[in-house]
Amino acid sequence: MESSILESIGVEIIGVMSPVSICMFLVVLLVYSLSSSDPFSPASVDTIRTAANLVYVENPSDSASQKLEGALLNALVFVILIALVTFLLVLLYYYNFTNFLKNYMRFSAFFVLGTMGGSIFLSVIQKFSIPLDSITCFLLLFNFTIVGVLSVFSGGIPILLRQTYMVCLGIIVAAWFTKLPEWTTWVLLVALAVYDLVAVLAPGGPLKLLVDLASTRDDELPALVYEARPTVTRTGQIGARSLGLLVAGVSDSSSIELQAVSRDNNVNRNLNEGRTNSDYSAVTMEDFRNEEVHSDREDGERSPLVSNVRERHSSSIPSSEARQLNNRDPEIVGEETSPLVEMFEFGNEGRQMRRGDVEITDRGIKLGLGDFVFYSVLVGRAAMYDLMTVYACYLAIISGLGCTLILLSVCRRALPALPISIALGVTFYFLTRLLMEPFIVGTATNLMMF
Amino acid sequence: MTVAAGIGYALLALGPSLSLFVSVISRKPFLILTVLSSTLLWLISLIVLSGVWRGFLPLKTTTWWPYGILILTSVAFQEGLRVLFWKVYRRLEDILDAFADRLSKPRLLLTDKMQIALAGGLGHGIAHAVFFCLSLLTPAFGPATYFSDKCSQIPFFLLSAIIALAFVTIHTFSMVIAFNGYAEGNKMDQYFVPIVHLVAGMLTLVNLAPGGCTVGIPLLYFIAILTLFHCGRMVWRRLVENQSR
Repeated sequence: MESSILESIGVEIIGVMSPVSICMFLVVLLVYSLSSSDPFSPASVDTIRTAANLVYVENPSDSASQKLEGALLNALVFVILIALVTFLLVLLYYYNFTNFLKNYMRFSAFFVLGTMGGSIFLSVIQKFSIPLDSITCFLLLFNFTIVGVLSVFSGGIPILLRQTYMVCLGIIVAAWFTKLPEWTTWVLLVALAVYDLVAVLAPGGPLKLLVDLASTRDDELPALVYEARPTVTRTGQIGARSLGLLVAGVSDSSSIELQAVSRDNNVNRNLNEGRTNSDYSAVTMEDFRNEEVHSDREDGERSPLVSNVRERHSSSIPSSEARQLNNRDPEIVGEETSPLVEMFEFGNEGRQMRRGDVEITDRGIKLGLGDFVFYSVLVGRAAMYDLMTVYACYLAIISGLGCTLILLSVCRRALPALPISIALGVTFYFLTRLLMEPFIVGTATNLMMF
Repeated sequence: MTVAAGIGYALLALGPSLSLFVSVISRKPFLILTVLSSTLLWLISLIVLSGVWRGFLPLKTTTWWPYGILILTSVAFQEGLRVLFWKVYRRLEDILDAFADRLSKPRLLLTDKMQIALAGGLGHGIAHAVFFCLSLLTPAFGPATYFSDKCSQIPFFLLSAIIALAFVTIHTFSMVIAFNGYAEGNKMDQYFVPIVHLVAGMLTLVNLAPGGCTVGIPLLYFIAILTLFHCGRMVWRRLVENQSR
């Protein structure tokens, strides 16, 4: 074979990292272009009440301890809300309100794309003073939204379009989240990472319950989960899949939580008009739940093939190198199992026009939309300080994601995607801001580099 | 227009590495991961260094020797990290080879190894350009520009972009030289890299003198071209050796 091993290793990791990078990049661009014109706009937005700052509205003149206290309370309330909604979802799912959940998810996607995306669209138009009449604008927005709803929740749509809309949803929600006040954002991010950890890994955690529940069922459920694009080469594809299964469970759950949260916020914001938040949040949670279930089911379906392969593989690998090798396991697996896999693919192709099975085969690693959102929120928040913190946070988050993926291939169970990345991102943000910036600025403005 | 200027500065500093990235690195996922991890390593080194130097900053003196010590320690630390990077890479190479054997794919070729070294160097270079040039570039997108006292002929942003370009080149290709030197046990190459890095860093001290940049930058570019030339010659020699074997 001509192709060197360099081309086949890490395909699946890059497949997840690149959309996350694109999402973060666009959010940063959005934050920059929208906030640079009037530095006081965030302050005015802060007055909006959302689920994320129910208790305390941050005021720039407050003292640090006051801010910290308020932010902690905000985060606590928010996380409790999310936990409640998640449990509600578990209940709804347990009693088979699947269709309701699905439709509600469609509606919420419509809502997010239409109203929140629309308002962002409007502010972009205003900022760059693009001449656009209202009818055209409405038509564009309507089409965008409808195609988005169709592509997100139904089959027979090109995977690229689906992925694009997933990234769009992530961008929109993240852009809204960046309007939260600073202290609340940081505390909230940390709180969510901790919640994610608990909910996915603790025995009674709601997400774990959801995953377990979903894995015992075979429902076809829509998912708000980013699916890494199927790779071109067969070995790569297989690798992606086998890794994907593991990752999917893990990150799906986390993503679900995250999504629920983000939607809650959106809903709440929208709720300025006076609705109760609980309905919306519940719906979103359901959506998330659906996603999780979906992924779980895929796992279940695939598991025979994959697990066989994996067992073989693991037995052949010495344990000392296990960690590194695990990364590459998928490939090996692919080679070894090619007959099985081919059959699998064949069957899938036949059914490609249908949902379910095909999707399963085509899917690689899956990352929850919530992870997209909160990674981007962190980077977007960093973008409000300086470009330097953006780069540092980006690197930290991406490396955290890489660590999570590696852990995933080691642990082979659903893992929360947030904690490592958020912890690294927050640490690097403050290190950069407090330590590195004076250093760099001091040396570079004297034109000294090394 | 100002946005155009900002993008222009950014491309001036990072354009060559961007094209290198697109043409060589982006096709191979493993190389992308290498670039990312080496960028992260450089960032960590920068954070550690700034943590150490935080207490002494900002240097108010106009003398050059505190800056000299700063650059000396930084370069020494980063060269130490390069050795570490090499050690990690060695282990990685063994694992990759074992892996390739199991997949019945060819082992790492010489060009593959060089590409990994290139990716590692590119990561260092990109990190340098990003943190020393790009992150200070935000005001350049606005309606004004900024002139440094010491070198008032050229806007500061243009100046830092030009210097960053030289350093990107040095970082990128000195990693290839260093890895080859380590692999071959070639003492000359092993010493060449830290010396080049140190000399390049010290040459930026010339910028402290009023009008020093007119002297310092050409010298810096001389170093960069020397590195490039040395790297090219060495790669050529190894490829020829490899083919004749």
